[in-house]
Amino acid sequence: MNLTQDRVRSIGWITVLAICAAMLVALTLRVNAVKSEVYAAEKRIVYTQQQINFLETEFQTRANQQALKKLNDLEFGYAAPGAGQYLEGERQLAALGAAPGPDAPAPIRFANAEPADIPGEDVAERAEEKAGSLLAMVNPVSGATAAAMPEEERRREAAAAKTRDSDREVLRAEAADLSRRLASIEIAEAPNQ
Amino acid sequence: MTALALQSTVPVTVSTGSRGLVNERQRSLLMAKARTLWVLVAFVLVGMIAALRIAYLGTTGPSPREVRLADLLTPQRGEIVDRNGAPLARDFRVYSLWFNPKAMTEGEPLIHSPKEIAAGLARIFPDIDQDEVIEKLSSGKAGYIRKSLLPEDANRVHELGEPALEFPLETTRYYPQGSLAAHVLGYVDSYGHGKVGMEQYFDKELVSPEGRSAPSVISIDFRVQSALEDELAKGMALSEAKGAAGVVLDVDTGEVMALASLPGFDPNHVKPNDMVVTPEEAKEGEVPKGFNRATNQVYELGSTFKPITVAAALDAGTVTNLARRWPAAPLHVGRFTIKDSHAMGDSLNVPETLIHSSNVVTAQIADELGGERLKAKLKTLGMNTRPAIELPARGFPIWDNGKWRRLRTMTVSYGHGVAVTPLHLATAYAALVNGGMWRPATLRKLSAGEVPEGRRVFSAATSARIRQLLRMIVLYGTGRKGDAPGFRIGGKTGSAEKPGNGGYRHHSLISTFAAAFPMDKPRYVVIAMMDEPKGTVATSYQRTAAWNAAPVVARVVPRIGPLLGIMPDETRDIDISDLKPLIPHEVSEAEE
Repeated sequence: MNLTQDRVRSIGWITVLAICAAMLVALTLRVNAVKSEVYAAEKRIVYTQQQINFLETEFQTRANQQALKKLNDLEFGYAAPGAGQYLEGERQLAALGAAPGPDAPAPIRFANAEPADIPGEDVAERAEEKAGSLLAMVNPVSGATAAAMPEEERRREAAAAKTRDSDREVLRAEAADLSRRLASIEIAEAPNQ
Repeated sequence: MTALALQSTVPVTVSTGSRGLVNERQRSLLMAKARTLWVLVAFVLVGMIAALRIAYLGTTGPSPREVRLADLLTPQRGEIVDRNGAPLARDFRVYSLWFNPKAMTEGEPLIHSPKEIAAGLARIFPDIDQDEVIEKLSSGKAGYIRKSLLPEDANRVHELGEPALEFPLETTRYYPQGSLAAHVLGYVDSYGHGKVGMEQYFDKELVSPEGRSAPSVISIDFRVQSALEDELAKGMALSEAKGAAGVVLDVDTGEVMALASLPGFDPNHVKPNDMVVTPEEAKEGEVPKGFNRATNQVYELGSTFKPITVAAALDAGTVTNLARRWPAAPLHVGRFTIKDSHAMGDSLNVPETLIHSSNVVTAQIADELGGERLKAKLKTLGMNTRPAIELPARGFPIWDNGKWRRLRTMTVSYGHGVAVTPLHLATAYAALVNGGMWRPATLRKLSAGEVPEGRRVFSAATSARIRQLLRMIVLYGTGRKGDAPGFRIGGKTGSAEKPGNGGYRHHSLISTFAAAFPMDKPRYVVIAMMDEPKGTVATSYQRTAAWNAAPVVARVVPRIGPLLGIMPDETRDIDISDLKPLIPHEVSEAEE
């Protein structure tokens, strides 16, 4: 075959064109694939949104005011809080902690805020203080602290605890005995039934 | 070669071979140029089309598919939400059970016998009527067998293996709060049209593209509505009343926070007798459950009108001295005698008149004021027109258009001879306590800029006086059972006999308590009305408003106050010290 320059050139063009066309087809396929993926995702979104709406409505229905009212009437019996249960501003809130009168005993607190560690302070001293705060629990009746309790009293406490334990043992034994008796009654009556 | 061929075909014209070759060469060059031009034109065209397409896509926005996605997610009918965004009405897709006899293309439409299928369905739905199902299945006509199926029940029906039983997923209107605010919301009929309440009022808006994409907000707070309905129902049960109505209204904007009419109906399952009554029932004065007593029925609201009369007199300047005393003996006007419910002493001043609710003295105050001025005042309060509200059901007041005679003026002063809806009364009380401005009631949530300016009915000074007087009624008078500690309620009771065939029926009352709170800076008006309450053990055998309507308000306010931002505070109250000396007896009695 006679390959002139023109022919080589046109073959080159055709090859380039074919490659372009092939790439175009590949690209189109890819675009369509992505498009259908998007479509599928959209379908999932719609389905999920419909499920969300359904569940939302179900929740609203189950928790509607009439259902809550019935539940409250039956189970809880909550009533609207009265005027005495509201606080007016920070001043009233602060007044809650004040002593109810002059020379009144300090109220018994169930919660205690530990002061935060201050850097630079003697660590050993802090630890002792912390331990001390546990020991510093005060008996609200006698006013005695656990740390200040005399040795003798502590022994008496321990002995009392032991008697309590022995009492508990007796109770446990009795309970076991009772359950055994109940079991035997059941078996004894079974043939008569 | 071609030149030779040309020579042989056209021998005469060709004189020299070289010239022929030149012509041929020129022609092919021309043709090549033309071809190049065509290719160029084609390329330019393609390029232009591509550019145009890009420009088109760039300017017209999203492709059609995205629109479809948004379309799928918008409801067919817009949502209705309360003022805080809690949904009150929304679209809900639910399975129905549909019998399609053409599902099987050939042969019998059913695989099993109708009897077997009916038995199978009865196992899934125990309440189903088997005979009816058998009849439907053997008729061979397509139709619903049941509506609103649970998905798990639909699966169980599928397991029966009948291709003719289909479950189309249909969109229905659903009200998650059930019968709550049913009269305000209304319902949607089987043709998709809104009925009764805001569903009817908003009907066009809800199906428009804007209405579908964004929820329609109404002014109701569903928690307040629930508390009002609950307490009204309790009050109704305790007093064995036939019906009840209630309104909670914002005094400064006219927004309706709650509007209730009992007995109610469930918009999810509207029964035929919810909307109509039989002629026999209608003869006895019965109204259907779908009838809104708060906006549609007019009543003579009795003594609750007295503060309006006093305010009109204060405004007109016919009463300048609250300590002035009027005789309290029965009043004879022509052949008619105006009496009080019980003896209240020889004479009464204005605070005593309101505290004890004296018809006789109120009639005299109105007589001095004159019919024209009282009529004009009631007109500015909108009592001669239908109530101002968006609901389609609005009652027209019974209103005398002619010149008011003396007796008419006197009876109107204590709430007889003019019949209005409880909503009229609520808007009038809002004007009484908010400084004197009347604003129309609305069910739309208003932003700060949308609040109407309103029209002045009473002067600010009159309004301040009335606030004191209303508070005194609750502290020392007939409204004592309507007080809630810390909420500074003020209000007026009213018990009017119901007109019947041939005069007033002495044993059927309309008892109303119209109140506002907190009286030192009124924010909300609360109206509670009982239709034909009876004397029961719970109401100490009394039928008047003090024993049935007032306690409802006393129970509602502590429930709704904190929700609406009003905390109870026993350290505050409206200053009534300047009026206390006028009622020394009542004050000392209350302090004992």
